[in-house]
Amino acid sequence: MTAPTASTPQTKPIKPGVIGWLGSLADAAMAAPGAYRQALRRHRRRTIILTVLLILAVIYPVINREFFQAYNRSSSFPLPFPEDAVVTFMMIFCIMAIGLNIVAGFAGLLDLGYVAFYALGAYTAAFLASPHFGSVSLVLFSNVPPGFPGIHLPFWMLVPLGFAVAATFGVLLGAPTLRLRGDYLAIVTLGFGEIVPVVFKNLSAVNLDFGPIHLVNANLTGGNLGINPIDPPRFFGISFGSSSGIAAVYLGMILLVGAIVIARNLERSRMGRAWMAIREDEIAAEMMGVNLVRTKLLAFGLGASFAGVAGVMQSSYQGVTTSDFFMFSTSILILIMIILGGIGNIWGVIVGALTLTFLDKTFLPYLGQRFQAISPDLPNPSQFNFLIFGILLVVMMRFRPEGFIPSRQRAAELRHAPAGQAIGSAAVMGDAALASEELADTLAAEQVVEVETEAAVAADEAAEAEPPKDTP
Amino acid sequence: MTVPTLTGDLRTGVLPEDAVIVRARGVTKRFGGLVAVNSVDFDIPRGAIVSLIGPNGAGKTTFFNMITGAYTPTDGEISFDGKALITKSRNRVRSKKPHEVTALGIGRTFQNIRLFGTMSTLDNVRVGLHVHMRSHWWDAVLRTPGMRAEEQASIDRGMELLELVGLETRADVWARNLPYGDQRRLEIARALATKPQLLLLDEPTAGMNSSETAEMTSFIRRLREELQLTVLLIEHDMRVVMGISDRVTVLDYGEVIAEGTPADVRANPRVIEAYLGRGAAAGA
Repeated sequence: MTAPTASTPQTKPIKPGVIGWLGSLADAAMAAPGAYRQALRRHRRRTIILTVLLILAVIYPVINREFFQAYNRSSSFPLPFPEDAVVTFMMIFCIMAIGLNIVAGFAGLLDLGYVAFYALGAYTAAFLASPHFGSVSLVLFSNVPPGFPGIHLPFWMLVPLGFAVAATFGVLLGAPTLRLRGDYLAIVTLGFGEIVPVVFKNLSAVNLDFGPIHLVNANLTGGNLGINPIDPPRFFGISFGSSSGIAAVYLGMILLVGAIVIARNLERSRMGRAWMAIREDEIAAEMMGVNLVRTKLLAFGLGASFAGVAGVMQSSYQGVTTSDFFMFSTSILILIMIILGGIGNIWGVIVGALTLTFLDKTFLPYLGQRFQAISPDLPNPSQFNFLIFGILLVVMMRFRPEGFIPSRQRAAELRHAPAGQAIGSAAVMGDAALASEELADTLAAEQVVEVETEAAVAADEAAEAEPPKDTP
Repeated sequence: MTVPTLTGDLRTGVLPEDAVIVRARGVTKRFGGLVAVNSVDFDIPRGAIVSLIGPNGAGKTTFFNMITGAYTPTDGEISFDGKALITKSRNRVRSKKPHEVTALGIGRTFQNIRLFGTMSTLDNVRVGLHVHMRSHWWDAVLRTPGMRAEEQASIDRGMELLELVGLETRADVWARNLPYGDQRRLEIARALATKPQLLLLDEPTAGMNSSETAEMTSFIRRLREELQLTVLLIEHDMRVVMGISDRVTVLDYGEVIAEGTPADVRANPRVIEAYLGRGAAAGA
């Protein structure tokens, strides 16, 4: 141990405010080519691979459409190449996986109701860019003709609004759960994830007489039918909606790049360290001066905001949003994405999101078609998607528990943790595996219920068709 | 800050108020029916090394936890540097939150080491610096020049602290991969990062061999001299306690049974009784 030294941090003078920030951005931009050459010298192989991957990612949508899809249209033996819509949804799910990774991966707070924030974002866009509230007409910077019924805000306004709404609700949900850990936290978030879509489903005929508010049979959320048509994203007169093909993919890609940059910057900051400290040892973190309330709420709020943006993208892109899109299964799907990909690592969760979206929306339906072509009696794998994901998860837990691209930390924890010491991520993964098993049961039960409900409805209708005997 | 001369009587209630950094009066903690700490009066003189000793279960760590805000006392008053840590309204006793206490200038280590295992040695120390950093999440998102300067300053300061405890070559190693003695020193570096005036050390030499213990002892003494720290120590190793303490306070069954210089305490029959039993005290 050496003698104590006085603290003299060396910092160069900084210009304050926006000008200083712009200046430093310019500095960074000027330094970028040099930094790239240096990276090329130091980690030659890694840099080249990353560059190639980046270029491939950027040109992939074009190649996919021009070659892969073209091949599928003309060939008698199509291959599982994703449609443009699927690629767009890959971007949306990547954004959500990155957001959930902040809550569950960085801060170690297991959130099983993440889909609620996706729904909040989607309905924010649906309310503010559709003819749904037809009794008013508010057209703001939008391509919609003036006087058109409903509220119409442009996409670039909806994104920050979706961000803010989801973040607000993230904080609201976080507040009552602050004292909860592990299983208890998971249950409360699970409840919230169920409540939000049900609220959106049921606010279709609201009667309320409360103070100055008088609602008579007000259709706030469109009920089971949801809300449509929602304005597609539009920039410079060009639509980026579902009919636009790869334009929407690139819009999603831009949002995804934004999400990556934000998440990376947060990870390498004072807040990121505080989140990880909480994950590692909450009591020690608090004793070292980390404000638990503020830090946890920030994780909930910022994590949720990513799902809010993803929701805005979803409803603007599809032009329709209904509460059926926001089932519990989606929460679990995103959780499986980050666990398979490598919880805690942004690149890992992106790989997880890409893989699972591909499996769910392209590969399993494709297998189903191939099976049907062989024999109509063969099962359709896309109906068993959660069974397959569950098996995949179990296999991963056995052979590579840290995920495809693990964070260094998680790999160490899971590979070298002393026996009997259940640490954060291991617990999260165990819970998720359990949850996916439970989900399979729930889904099976729900199907039974649906069948029963249909039978009951049919019986009711039959009863009504028969006129009651003693009516005057 | 000037370090007052630490000669003369350092017992509780003797020194003038401005020479005392922690002042506890009538501090009581009950866990259900168990009285862990019973109406303890306790002063820590500024710049002193004070040891809190006593048999297992005497309430030493409970007392520690009330100073740091981890436990709220059932009754009593604690002030630090003239500021009240405990407030009472009607019948409710409230304690400042641990992170608020840390911000005021109390740093601590733990009896069983509690480092952030899979964070690097440097990042462990930087978590300690967190409380004095000012950048917000939006600064982090935008990577503003102020935020980046603060990050760089935290790296520089973190490295200085690692140098202080002799871990500067292990900055990138995970805390959990450090040898035991290094982990103890890293805990001290992390506590020092919070810029404490008062450092609470909970059994800093537990599990160390005699040469490591001697090194830790001289290190604690140097911390006091060169950083003008006040140190409150919980320790079982009597050579450490007798070697570095300006004052020793003995707790038994949650009550102060003796207080004074190491020599006074060593000769006190009640202390011998508490440690060795009645027969031994009678024989002494």
